[in-house]
Amino acid sequence: MADKLIIGVPSKGRLMDRTLEVFAAAGLKIKRDGERRGYLGHIEALGGAEVSFLSAAEIAQSINCGRVHLGVTGEDLIHEQISDLEARVSLLKALGFGRADVVVAVPTCWIDVSHVSDLEDTAERFRKAHGRRLRVATKYLNLTRRFFAEHGVTGYRIVESLGATEGTPAAGTADLIVDITSTGATLAANNLKVLADGVILKSQAILVASKGADWSGPACEARTELMARLEA
Amino acid sequence: MAVESSQGVALEALESQAAAMRKVFTEAGFELVAPAILQPADVFLDVVGEALRGRTYVFTDPDGTELCLRPDLTVPTARAYLARYPKADVRARYCYDGPTFRFQRGGGDTAHPREFRQVGVEAFGHTDREKMEAEIVALAIAAVEAAGLKSWRLRFGDLGLFQALLGALEMPERWRARLKRNFWRRHAFRAELERLGKGFGDGDFEVPGELLDALDPADPEAAEEKVAAHLESRGIPLIGTRSLSEITARLLDQAADRRAPPLTAQAVKTIEDYVAIKAPPKAAGARIDDLMSERGVDIGPALESYRRRLELFREAGIDLSVAEFSAEFGRNLEYYTGFVFELEVASLGAGSHIAGGGRYDNLLAAVGAPHEVPSVGLAIHTERLHLAVEEGL
Repeated sequence: MADKLIIGVPSKGRLMDRTLEVFAAAGLKIKRDGERRGYLGHIEALGGAEVSFLSAAEIAQSINCGRVHLGVTGEDLIHEQISDLEARVSLLKALGFGRADVVVAVPTCWIDVSHVSDLEDTAERFRKAHGRRLRVATKYLNLTRRFFAEHGVTGYRIVESLGATEGTPAAGTADLIVDITSTGATLAANNLKVLADGVILKSQAILVASKGADWSGPACEARTELMARLEA
Repeated sequence: MAVESSQGVALEALESQAAAMRKVFTEAGFELVAPAILQPADVFLDVVGEALRGRTYVFTDPDGTELCLRPDLTVPTARAYLARYPKADVRARYCYDGPTFRFQRGGGDTAHPREFRQVGVEAFGHTDREKMEAEIVALAIAAVEAAGLKSWRLRFGDLGLFQALLGALEMPERWRARLKRNFWRRHAFRAELERLGKGFGDGDFEVPGELLDALDPADPEAAEEKVAAHLESRGIPLIGTRSLSEITARLLDQAADRRAPPLTAQAVKTIEDYVAIKAPPKAAGARIDDLMSERGVDIGPALESYRRRLELFREAGIDLSVAEFSAEFGRNLEYYTGFVFELEVASLGAGSHIAGGGRYDNLLAAVGAPHEVPSVGLAIHTERLHLAVEEGL
């Protein structure tokens, strides 16, 4: 039986700040336990809950395996990291912040490539000229594979990239990218453009529940109370 | 819950089933080989494509070498053949029996285990194509029957017919390539066909129509200069690996597309009508014949090859009353190039075929052979076969 409702909350940055704001506005002020850098916290108005400060990616993983009951994270991470979304997760509430799109972006100088449907032909010619497939730099391996498969794009290879993805085409380590962007300014600064139909996912911060967590006992009641306050 | 093959299925039963099938293959002159389970990720995935990569267990060893657990046995067998005959100038018949690995959501189930045992054959270098294809299908049937399966259905398709149809219809070669490329993906294929039937206008391209109209295919150098001037006037720097001439080459195609008349309504209709054909083998042949003569399209040799294959099926004793031809029947592996088939049982449903295979003439060249080699193969999913046999089908 679960004694407490465990809530995964982002541990840093704007995602954390805005999450704390949203909870506080609903009368659910989150307090960190111990030192400033403590990784546990509590909500005074909700005794049956415990807060676990984690990175957004860890929250998606913890939701997947049921280590936390509820969590705030990005839709992009939920869709990327959880292969069997419907069976594992309930999407409870879109929070309206952390908005960004996961997009396919190519060098702006590819003026012959405007749509996703241009990529396959480009890839085939590229392979003839350079003896290899087009390389796509991304941290979104699964989203990329799914999107390209749906659009009949096959002539590519993924190069996993965990940072500064938008610099890879200019550096020559990749040819195009799949990355997250909010204003498009970083893409433009790196001489990249988003394909006309290249938006894979419109993402924002969301509150999700794990279907795999232990929902017996007090956790379930605490969830009902929490949701009532957030929805009020 | 994850299902290990050693738990989900009785090992003994699987072993005796595989032994019965190995016997069928070796008696038919196929040498038993054991290709490597660990494969270099790069070579392998370049051939099977990123879609299957998503379901392949890939990892990096302490030396930094990227390896994978083989997601099928065809590519490893082709590599083993090439290691033995680097010139790829010898006929060979191989059979195998071993584990393959594919990611399944949530660890898989009994019909879709992530570690499964494949038994199959590959035949390299046999130039009588239809004959080898019929032999492979007959072998697949003999093998599953030796393993105890009593009833099955045969579904097959033939990329050769479709290629012949495209070849016979009036259109630029690059449009044929576009349709061929999308053939396996219904949605993308329809969209492409619609686009070619509509013709290309300003909305289809990013660059202004005036620039495209100014590009002369007969003078690629001048075209390149115009493209360079266009980029400069917009302050767009050239970055990345693709060169100005590669970008210009595709723009020249777009210029030609703009000038070309759209695919005729008759041609679009003929392709649609062909793709919709799904019928028992003999009736399908007659319908294809009728359609082509009605539309005045000559695909003689491909249709002849279809008929000859059917005749050879019959001679090999294959029961065609449980067979069906489907023009758009495809398999999801990129390397198939011609005839493709699957054996199914009703109870396991679609996507759970028991055996499958076909022709893949480009594969050996793709893994390093100096030229293309006629190749046909089949693979049997032994856990599924076992389930079907257990159910007394």
